[in-house]
Amino acid sequence: MAKYLYNEEAVANLRLSDTSVLDRLVDFESARAAHLKKDHSKKDKRMSLAEAVSTFVQDGDIMTDAGFSYVRTPHQAFNEVIRQGKKNLQMIGAPNTNQTFFINYGVAAYSHNSYTGAEMRGIDKSYDRALKAGRVKILSEWSHGGVAQGFKAAQLGTPGVFSKQMLGSDIVRYNPYLKVMQHPLKKDKDPVVFVPALYPDVAIIHCHVADKYGNAYIYGPAVNDLAVAAATRKLIITAEEIVPESDIRYNRQGQIIPFFYADAVVELPFGAVPGNMPGCYYWSRQWWEKVMRFGGVSDENMMIFLNEWIMGTKNQFEFVDKLGGAKWIAEARRQTKAAEGDNEDIDFSYEEYTLKNDSGLYY
Amino acid sequence: MRDLNAPANPLEVLAYIIAQQISDHSVVYIGTGIPMVAGILAKKTHAPNITIVYESGGQDPIEGDMPWSVGCPFTWRKSPTTMEMSYSFAQCYNGYVDMGFLGFAQVDMYGNVNTHMIGKDFHKPAVRMTGSGGNNDLSSLTENMVLVGLQTPDKFLEKVDFVTSVGHLTGGNSRKEAGLIGKGPSAVISPWGVYDFHPVSKRMRVKTLTPGVTFDLAQQLTGFELLKPEGEIPDTKLITPEALKIVRTEVDPRGVFTVMPTG
Repeated sequence: MAKYLYNEEAVANLRLSDTSVLDRLVDFESARAAHLKKDHSKKDKRMSLAEAVSTFVQDGDIMTDAGFSYVRTPHQAFNEVIRQGKKNLQMIGAPNTNQTFFINYGVAAYSHNSYTGAEMRGIDKSYDRALKAGRVKILSEWSHGGVAQGFKAAQLGTPGVFSKQMLGSDIVRYNPYLKVMQHPLKKDKDPVVFVPALYPDVAIIHCHVADKYGNAYIYGPAVNDLAVAAATRKLIITAEEIVPESDIRYNRQGQIIPFFYADAVVELPFGAVPGNMPGCYYWSRQWWEKVMRFGGVSDENMMIFLNEWIMGTKNQFEFVDKLGGAKWIAEARRQTKAAEGDNEDIDFSYEEYTLKNDSGLYY
Repeated sequence: MRDLNAPANPLEVLAYIIAQQISDHSVVYIGTGIPMVAGILAKKTHAPNITIVYESGGQDPIEGDMPWSVGCPFTWRKSPTTMEMSYSFAQCYNGYVDMGFLGFAQVDMYGNVNTHMIGKDFHKPAVRMTGSGGNNDLSSLTENMVLVGLQTPDKFLEKVDFVTSVGHLTGGNSRKEAGLIGKGPSAVISPWGVYDFHPVSKRMRVKTLTPGVTFDLAQQLTGFELLKPEGEIPDTKLITPEALKIVRTEVDPRGVFTVMPTG
């Protein structure tokens, strides 16, 4: 039996027979209990990626994407989740398309969805096929802003927020968590949407630096991650670099995740590869073109591609080697510095991957 | 290097028309693709003092290469600040954003947008597309929305397959009654015409047409009855040679968004 009174129209439209599968995402009491139960002591939480994933990502967990699509997204940690063969995850696919990789390995069975695709690189045909074949079940439709408000509500310490987003659209007819209500103070008719605070079970957030306790610094757009860090029941911090606590205290004002949110700290240079890590390395444009275009053709293609890159690599270093190794690193660093205005402008021309033309290059 | 002598292609035509909607000194929220070209073109021509906002939180960047994503470094290049996503959209709600530009896969006679799916069955659509992303948020909150896309009878529909983003909903006062903020879409721009909405019925109406396109042709390209404005329909102002040169040499020299796909 579900704990909540969900939006019945959406439950019917989504054909959800057992709505208890929806509960944990909005179950504040259990999230608070999980936060209270954590070891709040300031202790060394460093461990290997394999250990962090095997300890803190459990079958059936609600796991959220982080970063933005291919910007500071924990791709390498996600690959480890897939390699460990986790099952039945619910993925919050906002603001990303990365749930597709999990779905193809049967790791994610459920999708809370606000965007699938890679913008101008194309729509996600693999997600389309998985949906029609019933390999993934959508549990809720969102806008990016709706999910952002749900996470932010959790960080604010409130049961939810009243939103003006998604009103009147079919999104509210396909989201069991949303309820349209009257603004309680307004005399005149004024519909608002109640967006409940959202509490994922587990989040992996890739940061620029972290200390061994889990104080973690983000440079560039934080997107939802400061809110996600506060909301999630379990938090794995992966970082390009582990630094002394004094470095955080003296040098890193700005976007900081406090240590007592973190359960695990993993030193993971190149953890956002093949995406972009602000200040560190540019994304591999050809890799994303290939996954969307070659993988878009068929399930077989997608598995060939993912097997090569995810199952075919043991860690991020092997992944970087496949991208071109030291040459890739040098080029990706030069590109990202130029992109951010920290270097001379450079020519961003490159040979685009198409089905007819594969240069084999990833930079 | 792009051929500077080739005639303007439809994407360049589109970028220029969109750019003309932008007034100087305004804050403009930009979605991915052609709107990026238009925003930067406007900034390099008639509207040098606009501030561009992107949904991943980047805003007010110093222009660099063409952004490839609304999250990429070119959207926050030396920005004074980046916003968390929830705060970025909140700027539309709170009245700091003057105008927003978004794409669509389908649009209906009231300017409602679909980016979710083609087909009638949510569980087995003909094609599942991206879903909302920030499309719904901008449409729900932004004072003036401009919608941009291709025009065929199966893209300009009486009823979209899924209402991702509300435009004027069912016309008349229905957008406001549903609780949404802002005036709703003020224009729909396709390579063939610029459309606005009748002030009372909120039905889509021809405003200007691309030279050579007649009302009848525009109607044939549309899956519902277009409203005809009173009097002569003006031609849409086409991209000038100067603006075309700026697109090809400064705004999108590598042709990221303004070179026609070659199949």
